[in-house]
Amino acid sequence: MSLVYPNGVRALDNISLEIGKGEFIFLVGHSGTGKSSLLRLLYREMAPSSGHITVDGIRVDRLARGRIPALRRHLGVVFQDYKLLSDKTVWENVAFALQVTGAHTRDVQRQVPRALDLVGLAHKSRMYPNELSGGEQQRTAIARALVNNPKLLLCDEPSGNLDPANTTEIMELLRRINLKGTTVVVATHNQAVVDRMRRRVVRLDNGRVITDEERGYYFLGLGQDQILSG
Amino acid sequence: MDWGRIRFFLGEVQRNFTRNAGMQITAIGTVAVTIVMLGIFLYARSALIHAESGVFSQIEISVYADPAATVAQETVIRAALAQDPRIRSVTFVPKREGLAQMRRLMKGQIDTSLLTENPLPDKFRIRVREAQEVPAVARSIAKLPHVQNVEYGREVVQRLLQLAAVMRPVGIAVIVLFLLVAGIIISNTIRLTVFARRREISIMQLVGATNMYIRMPFICEGLLAGIFGTAIAVGALALARASLVPKIASALPWLPMNTVAVDLSTLVLELFAVGAAVGALASWIAVGRYLRA
Repeated sequence: MSLVYPNGVRALDNISLEIGKGEFIFLVGHSGTGKSSLLRLLYREMAPSSGHITVDGIRVDRLARGRIPALRRHLGVVFQDYKLLSDKTVWENVAFALQVTGAHTRDVQRQVPRALDLVGLAHKSRMYPNELSGGEQQRTAIARALVNNPKLLLCDEPSGNLDPANTTEIMELLRRINLKGTTVVVATHNQAVVDRMRRRVVRLDNGRVITDEERGYYFLGLGQDQILSG
Repeated sequence: MDWGRIRFFLGEVQRNFTRNAGMQITAIGTVAVTIVMLGIFLYARSALIHAESGVFSQIEISVYADPAATVAQETVIRAALAQDPRIRSVTFVPKREGLAQMRRLMKGQIDTSLLTENPLPDKFRIRVREAQEVPAVARSIAKLPHVQNVEYGREVVQRLLQLAAVMRPVGIAVIVLFLLVAGIIISNTIRLTVFARRREISIMQLVGATNMYIRMPFICEGLLAGIFGTAIAVGALALARASLVPKIASALPWLPMNTVAVDLSTLVLELFAVGAAVGALASWIAVGRYLRA
């Protein structure tokens, strides 16, 4: 599968990748190597120039415009900048994802507390985003992404704006979510995170997959300790 | 009925509406001004059309028979008139009756007792189906044998016909222009409110809200702006009508403005329908552009 931007840049060049159900996978590589582009293709922010993409049996590349909302209700997306609404409380931000997709009030009442419990923010549900720490904001965003019970969670640099302590917290949360059966895809260039988690690592460079390892490190075959000591 | 859902939706509409108060006021003001102009125009138009049809229905052609014509010859004229499909009615006024009418009309002005014989010819009074056909009918009657003279208010009829012919297309063009301008201004205003909410829209799209759902609050917003604007305009028009129309009527008594005849409730309904439609349509277009981009 390839993605060529209108300006001629080949963001993704003949990529072939299979992600299994319930996997936890890191996409690593320098900025501009196509990690975000790959995620955008998965939630159909963009369509590939050639090739095909299947998410949970749906041919995402062929999806008609009108079917995109249905796809997105079955996956969650988390960003570096959280994308929370500052004039809504934590509870309202999470509920928003259900309300704007026409969910019934009783489903909102049931699902929102569950998602907030999962990310450990039930006690802060009435606070506004700017009253929260970065880590808490990201946890709110994750709760919003999970409130629909998606099978797939896409994270684009989830720890990009966070300090190490908060990063650890978020990664622990993602690990727990993954243990519950949700497939998690994390695009990151945080070496510490990748090396600590020891999960599948897909390394992108210049729009191509250059390595794909089970239990990989950020750098090919090398853990953080080895780099520091070597 | 899921009241929570309705409350959420109305809350969103109300939030947008109050948050972008400045822009909303602009939109409402635009609608109000446009609807006031449209209202004045439609009002004047329907008053004029009414006056026009009143005048038109009274246009009469008088056909005077040759004084020397015999009864048989006049019967021929009458038969020819009866056959003309453009003619609605024919009334025969024999000269005796014509004189009696004149006596009544001219009472006190002319001493008709001085008349030694009846100077009037026999006359047919003709009403035509379509006012536009008056000149043509008059011309063809004039060619009939034993018709001495055909008269109708040539000048007046021609002026009125010209006015009517110009009024309709110009009126429609003016209305279309008004609505277009209002639509563009409202659309731009709503686009600003859409732009102010682009973050919210992008999140809605991300979590899988349908475009229709994203559109709805904006359309309601446009609808509200249209209805509020029209309400203001209708209020202003009602005030203007109450204070101005009697003055106009007394200042220009020759102006055949039969104000009673204008169907006000229909006019107000029309204005509201137009205001709401323009508001909703303009927002639909404004959001559509954003959603596609």
